[in-house]
Amino acid sequence: MRRQVYEWRNIMPTGEDNILNSYPILKPNNVHTIALKQGVAIDIFIGGVGNNIDIPAALKATQYIVIDAIAVWPQNLAAQIYVNTSRYFQDPDRNPTEGITGNVVPFPNGNSGIINYDFKNGLKPPVYVIPNQTWGIEVTPLADITEKTGADVTDANIAFCFVKYLLIDGADALVAKKLMEFGWDITAENIQRYKQDLVRFNMIAGMAEMDELDGLERRV
Amino acid sequence: MVLKGGFKMTIRSQMYEWELFGNGAFVAGDFPVAGREVSIFTGGFGNFVNEVSMVRDTEFIVINQIGCTPGVSPQESIVSGGGALTKWIPNMLIQFVIGTTGYYRDPQNVYSSGVSGMASPYPKSIQDLPYYDLWPPIYIISNQTWDIRYKFFNDLHGAFDDGYFTSIPPSTNIGRVWVNYTLFNGTDSLIANRLLSLGIPITIDSVEWFRKLLLKSKGLETDTFKFYLRTAQEYRDEDNRVNNLLGLKRYNPNE
Repeated sequence: MRRQVYEWRNIMPTGEDNILNSYPILKPNNVHTIALKQGVAIDIFIGGVGNNIDIPAALKATQYIVIDAIAVWPQNLAAQIYVNTSRYFQDPDRNPTEGITGNVVPFPNGNSGIINYDFKNGLKPPVYVIPNQTWGIEVTPLADITEKTGADVTDANIAFCFVKYLLIDGADALVAKKLMEFGWDITAENIQRYKQDLVRFNMIAGMAEMDELDGLERRV
Repeated sequence: MVLKGGFKMTIRSQMYEWELFGNGAFVAGDFPVAGREVSIFTGGFGNFVNEVSMVRDTEFIVINQIGCTPGVSPQESIVSGGGALTKWIPNMLIQFVIGTTGYYRDPQNVYSSGVSGMASPYPKSIQDLPYYDLWPPIYIISNQTWDIRYKFFNDLHGAFDDGYFTSIPPSTNIGRVWVNYTLFNGTDSLIANRLLSLGIPITIDSVEWFRKLLLKSKGLETDTFKFYLRTAQEYRDEDNRVNNLLGLKRYNPNE
């Protein structure tokens, strides 16, 4: 299990719009932020703006992902999580919205004095992405975000989108599958607890290859 | 670490802070190149340690948190009238490496630059509270090497070449990295390894719980009983001697 992060930004060297698989090398007086048009959604992984990756985020057969926190900036930028063709945030009429805005989940937390108060522990419940699914995040400006150049390129004027997720791989993915079948939340704690119980029950049943601990386990 | 009385400290909360400062006139070799990954322990810039961080046979390490200098835009750097760089925004990210394996991957499962100072800032401030929490923590077992590697994405060399500044005063911080970890030593490292094999999370509480469980289930050693018996007898003899001197000794038909 590994706690992973991805951070998207719209800052680039002057004259450039996009970089793949890294962040751009920046110098003072040679940077700009890329303008984002109102209502036009941009994929933070493959949208062609700012730092991107080569291919959409897809899970291997032995991987689970638990998306547990998302943050975005500026205040009028909204972030929407999608898994395959489904979108997470929706209106009461069940139509997908643009998503959660920087007013609620500012990045970094405390930017311009705005604090993430309501989602400080992340999304509850979190979003599960199961093997072979494709996932991503789209950011949509609720108003035009203009290009900034020169001294105006401050951290408060850069558009950000940050996502934090738990990557569950290998044997832990099998445990995650079991937990999902039982209707349990897939959290690091629950996966550890399940493995712990599995070992304990095997020891009690005399199936574990840990003979020297048999006596101890009986006393537990 | 062995203290004066010969006691070993077992569980210790440790931390390491890496810092890089200016040193007056800019010398290119004194600062890392932007975009290149450098170790905080053996990278040769700022403060460093004498050897690669390898966990020894009797140690177990749990990495609890890491952080680095926040900030992205190089425009927020400050140059004084004389061309001295008094504030630099490094735009840095940090990757955790065990052996040859990087902890952070990007969503396409490729080794990434890691977590930024915006998500996991050090030092922390109310303008930039951490979003990132290293949970579950990273376990490093004996004979594994571990490292934290940083990358600057703001180009200090390029800025100097462009004439943005001429010198960096020693008071100007170029970047910081901080790591907090728990070091289990001696018998506690053995317990930590046992807990790991049982699939139990390794925390200070769980190691202490297991130690108590072991003592409780095993009971006291024969030597310990003998020690307590001998001590009790010596105390009683001393008590009798004092009472005799004071004339307080009572008649005891069993003596």
